[in-house]
Amino acid sequence: MPAREGTYGLLAEFDTPSDLVRAAQQARKDGWRRMDCYTPYPVEEAAEAIGFHRNKVPLITLVGALMGLTAMFLFETWVSVLAYPLNIGGRPLYSWPAFIVPAYEWTILFAGLSAAFGMLALNGLPSLYHPLFNAPNFRDGATTDKFFLCLEALDPKFDLVEGKKYLQSLQPVSIVEVEY
Amino acid sequence: MAHESNATHGATHAKALPADLSAPAFVDVWKMRALTVGAAFTGIAAVLAFADGKLDHVLRAWVLGLMLTFGWAVGGLALLMVQYCTGGKWGLLFRRPLEAMTRTLPLVFVYWLVVVLEMKKLYLWAQVDDVAGALKSGFISEIQAHAIEFKRPMLNPAAFVWTGLVCFAIWGFYTWRLNALALKRDADLPENTPYWIKKFENISGPGIVIYSLTMTAAVIYWVMSMDPTWYSSVYGLLFLVGQGYSVLALSIIVSISLSKSEPFKTILRQTEQHDMGKLTFAFVMLNIYLAFAQFLIIWSGNLPEEIPWYMDRIQGHWGVIITLDFMFHWLIPFTLLLSRDLKRNKKRLVRVCQWMIFAKAFDLFWLIEPNYRDAARNLHFSWGLLEYVAVPVAMVAFWVAYFCTRLKTRPLVQVNDPHLAEILEPEHAHA
Repeated sequence: MPAREGTYGLLAEFDTPSDLVRAAQQARKDGWRRMDCYTPYPVEEAAEAIGFHRNKVPLITLVGALMGLTAMFLFETWVSVLAYPLNIGGRPLYSWPAFIVPAYEWTILFAGLSAAFGMLALNGLPSLYHPLFNAPNFRDGATTDKFFLCLEALDPKFDLVEGKKYLQSLQPVSIVEVEY
Repeated sequence: MAHESNATHGATHAKALPADLSAPAFVDVWKMRALTVGAAFTGIAAVLAFADGKLDHVLRAWVLGLMLTFGWAVGGLALLMVQYCTGGKWGLLFRRPLEAMTRTLPLVFVYWLVVVLEMKKLYLWAQVDDVAGALKSGFISEIQAHAIEFKRPMLNPAAFVWTGLVCFAIWGFYTWRLNALALKRDADLPENTPYWIKKFENISGPGIVIYSLTMTAAVIYWVMSMDPTWYSSVYGLLFLVGQGYSVLALSIIVSISLSKSEPFKTILRQTEQHDMGKLTFAFVMLNIYLAFAQFLIIWSGNLPEEIPWYMDRIQGHWGVIITLDFMFHWLIPFTLLLSRDLKRNKKRLVRVCQWMIFAKAFDLFWLIEPNYRDAARNLHFSWGLLEYVAVPVAMVAFWVAYFCTRLKTRPLVQVNDPHLAEILEPEHAHA
């Protein structure tokens, strides 16, 4: 993909999560859609404010868990019944209670791995470059104590001058224009 | 971080605590409803006992009712102590309902007295004085005779009564101490709150250990000894987790139901509700974990001293009950509580919690009934079997009525708590 050029978006900086959430709610109400919030720790209300409601991580986790469960249970059944049938204390070859523990462990393992890698994949990670790191205040503050709202240029409402004016009305600490 | 924002912005957005913190008037309506249900089911229980022609099932079902209400009163005490040790905002939602649960201990004691009086009908070891004679007449098997003889120093009426009295005295002491000090803490100056926090921690920490030991002793005597031949070292822990299961379910129901009106309307936030849903989910998981661990170990060992206990509860149609128990007790709450939306939805979370209490009762039925010769490996209908519905419902209903009166006696929110300011803030400030 060729390098994109021009403006990525307008980045507004806030001091508190409350200010950010209020600004994001207002922007969503005023019709903005292509925007994102950046906070040093998870602020669930910010995600709600920009209309973020569903992701596929739970589904991926569930599918992973069921796969782990089925795979291990079938594997144990195959080993004990077909491949290496052994008489253990006179118990039936298909002794399902004994299969539960490893099958359960694999459920957890697969669920955990699916959740972690599924989340990374859906986030578009690993990613080597993101335009927002061009903004110095973002580099310094996004992981410590600043809260950011970015109106992206892809939004049909986006206009550099009007957008800036609009962000001013939300009373941020600063506004930075971010290049690709 | 968020505290800084408090100074500048919090003032305009934080909610104010209502002036009147007492329990809303509808708690009296609950009480009246509970008393009506209690009276109706007492009548039903009486009719059923008449139809059945004997009191055996009434007493067995009585133990079920005792275990449920005991679980709330003493399990509530345990969760209260855990809350004092861990801290957290959920304490503001749960502490007063839990305190009210602990103060129902007198009623549980009365329920227990009935078990003491009717000990001979409930416990084989109490029934059999002359072991050799009973063995000769074929009343008990050789294994039972040996177990009763061997366990006599522990399983005898005097030990049963004294252990019970000592346990109730200890629980009563902690109930009184924590409840009395909670009022003192609220009456004290806010500056002294750190002292009180430490004080409650120091009482509760050892209290949790003592609770685990006394509770284990109680369930061994009251339920496990119904079958004198069998023992399981995880039994106490199983009931401990079971109490967490039912206490959390009831506390969530109470908090959410109270939130229809002030003051809980103000302090119940979705964040804490969601957290409590997650904690309940953990107990659902832990519960099946222990129950299955016990089964797996005994199944693997396959020893003649242990396995009959499970055979009594699987063969002769009991397999249907244990399968349903597995689904009711674990599968249904587990799959439902996986959902984030459900945990954040008041109405649905309450429904699941109500279901969990029913499932707990169902599990107790599976634990209690097969201890008796007429029911072991032989699930069959008799009018007496329906006592397992009538008697516990009546007992729980009277317990709920008493709980409501206890709930009315204090303000529902503890004011001298550092988390109070946080729980009044809009949720995103601390998310």
